[in-house]
Amino acid sequence: MIKKTDITWCPGCGNYAIRDVLEKVLHELPIPRKDIAFTSGIGQAAKMPQYLEVNYFNGLHGRSLPLAVGIKLARPDLTVVSYSGDGCLYGEGGNHFIHAIRRRLDLTIITSDNQIYGLTKGQSSPTTDFGVKNALDPRGNENIPLNPLSLAINMGAPFVARGYAGDKDHLGGIIREAILFKGTAVVDILQPCVSFNNINTYQWYHKRVFKVDNTPADRYEAMKLAEQWGDKIPIGIIYRDDKAECRELAKIFREPLTEADIREHLAMKCVMMR
Amino acid sequence: MEFSVLIGGEAGLGAFSMELELTDILSRLNYYFFATKNYMSRVRGGHNFHMIRIADHSVHALTGGSWDMIVALDEETEIRHRVHLYDKGLYLSPTLIGEVAREAREEFHDVTVSNTILVGVILAIIDVDTERLAAVTESNKLKYLRRGFKYAGQWEMAGIFPIPSKAGCHYIFDGNKAIALGSLLGGCQFMAGYPMTPATSIMHYFATAAMSLPAHFEQAEDEISAINMALGASYAGVRSMVATAGGGFALMQEAVSLAGMTETPIVIVVGQRPGPATGLPTRTEQGDLNLVLYAGHGEFPRIVFAPGTIGEAIDVTRKSFELADRYQIPVFVLTDQYFADSVQLMEEDLPVSVPAREYGIFDRAYQRYALMETGISPLTFPGLFDAMVRVDSDEHDESGTITEDLDLRIRMVDKRLGKMTLLKKDAIPPTFYGDSEAGTILISWGSNRLIVEEAVDKLVAERIEASALHFGQVYPLSNDMIAPYQLESKTIICVENNGGAQFACLLKKEFGLHATHNILKYNGECFTVEEIYSRVKLLLSPEVEE
Repeated sequence: MIKKTDITWCPGCGNYAIRDVLEKVLHELPIPRKDIAFTSGIGQAAKMPQYLEVNYFNGLHGRSLPLAVGIKLARPDLTVVSYSGDGCLYGEGGNHFIHAIRRRLDLTIITSDNQIYGLTKGQSSPTTDFGVKNALDPRGNENIPLNPLSLAINMGAPFVARGYAGDKDHLGGIIREAILFKGTAVVDILQPCVSFNNINTYQWYHKRVFKVDNTPADRYEAMKLAEQWGDKIPIGIIYRDDKAECRELAKIFREPLTEADIREHLAMKCVMMR
Repeated sequence: MEFSVLIGGEAGLGAFSMELELTDILSRLNYYFFATKNYMSRVRGGHNFHMIRIADHSVHALTGGSWDMIVALDEETEIRHRVHLYDKGLYLSPTLIGEVAREAREEFHDVTVSNTILVGVILAIIDVDTERLAAVTESNKLKYLRRGFKYAGQWEMAGIFPIPSKAGCHYIFDGNKAIALGSLLGGCQFMAGYPMTPATSIMHYFATAAMSLPAHFEQAEDEISAINMALGASYAGVRSMVATAGGGFALMQEAVSLAGMTETPIVIVVGQRPGPATGLPTRTEQGDLNLVLYAGHGEFPRIVFAPGTIGEAIDVTRKSFELADRYQIPVFVLTDQYFADSVQLMEEDLPVSVPAREYGIFDRAYQRYALMETGISPLTFPGLFDAMVRVDSDEHDESGTITEDLDLRIRMVDKRLGKMTLLKKDAIPPTFYGDSEAGTILISWGSNRLIVEEAVDKLVAERIEASALHFGQVYPLSNDMIAPYQLESKTIICVENNGGAQFACLLKKEFGLHATHNILKYNGECFTVEEIYSRVKLLLSPEVEE
């Protein structure tokens, strides 16, 4: 078991709540722990798999998704979850975020989105609001924030949700649905950073978040919901398409190449040689 | 007996199709040949040329010097290459070829068959037996080839360079095919990649093979993603590889370091082309040795192979997967555009057996980074047993959990670097060629091997003492590898397709050996036998001796 004292997050960090939720969801899932593999990048959120009873590959900053894609392609039998922060998944790994969704794999992509870089101490992240002053933006962030939900819907993700670390039960339901969903499920979690983000606090979120009761079936309606930000911030499953088809994957693990394969292959005329 | 032909023209005129058609028929007729190409980074236009050497003995290099025949599909070929035509050589001018094309259009209603007709002309020149040709050629093609024989007769070229077909049962390979096949023989079942010359065809072969084999190719959004996907697949239990060029590999470097830290097996093929940056995208160079030797931050062990023959390319690629697995390290196969695009015969038998992969059974007490007496931690994969497989790019403890215990850090570094001793014991020795008493030794690595060996033959034929030593493994190097050759007492000439004598520098660093001379070439083209021969001869002439 993991001792709480070994956890390196700041006291009060939203990630503690998310960890509790994940442990509970994983405990209740009808999937043996040995069949669950997490990948993560680098950052405070990316430490998450360390504190869970799962297989994990904690890789490079921004690269949790290519690892997850590789694992899933090699082992469709594993339940694969990519977990990282907003800087890692939407900044350094933004290109992978776009293209991993296009691959139509049964993956769950979860982001602890605190709208700030925590581990490097308070710089703007891709989701930092316009004008917010941060360590490297002393005059205020000049960039428009990235909207992970509308981007995910745009790229064709069939399951797109937003959770909030301040509402554990609601978040648990979303994560459970996301992992069980057959297809690429994107979950962005609003996660207050108590050390470096004094704007997007628990109080700030409490006043703004509202639960989506009816998930739009229409992609364009979902897009409108995903674009909502500011005074009213929707949480819940923003878009869900149960009819979307996953890619068929060939079984390769435990089906090793054999001498017969190679002989047959060599006999095939134009592939390798005559 | 030999016959060399250059076919030149702008991209799209059919010079490449002619090379393919000609070499296909030569192979079916059991001719010895070697073919390579020099092409521009464009799909249409420009100036490309294809060089084919046909012989009554095994050939694996360009001779250099003059051509026995030039097929000029355009004026540019005439301007550039006609000066290199042997004085009794045969020349097909653009005008003459234009007449063939006109007749093809009128009689066969298809201008493209004129290329097949020209292949027929070449076959007639080397005196191919028409009955044997008919036996190995599809009937629809035969009439065009026969028309070529008719032209050769009219132009009084038939049988001018008769070459007997002497090859036995064989395979034809280009370097990239050899590497792709080697990967399958090594049990590789996953490859991810982003297209980049000269590595792209490795991906093509693998992707095509994966249609009917239990293997998967994934086209990634960039090279960074490609190598991370391969590491993910390897972590999940499948032997994995990537292939790219120097520029793409530059993007992969951080993940090479990740493989080193997480001890995840991976095979990385780097096809060199001239840099820096985009350089000459479709030409050749051996300029990325240093890049591959030192790629990735931090300290971790690696192996670098640089095969010099088709057989060696198949063997080392295959072995790369076994070694990557055994030592849980990145293993490199370093090749180049010249080797990738040169078509060669291989008469040896292919090793078709695929080694079975074995892994132990572990329970919940399993630790991915357990410190063992053997120096190698136990490797297994998620989801097989109760064992949790926890892998981390941060410094980690035996269980794979992040640690900042600095004493443990020392033990982990010692474990990783300790593998170097084991790698050196497993190193593949270099290949010696020639007379061990010869005072001069030509050292090469990678694709230059057979060019150098033929140059040695040519020097020895003129009673110039020379031998050759080729390194198919360039890293790590061990004293045992060179002990038999008394290199200290010899004139060492290092032959490299680069401007910085990178391997000579490595020899100096690793062995304190000083190359007496360097023969370097870095204009984007491969060496020819003639070139190495004449440069060695010049270096060894009394005026140059220090």
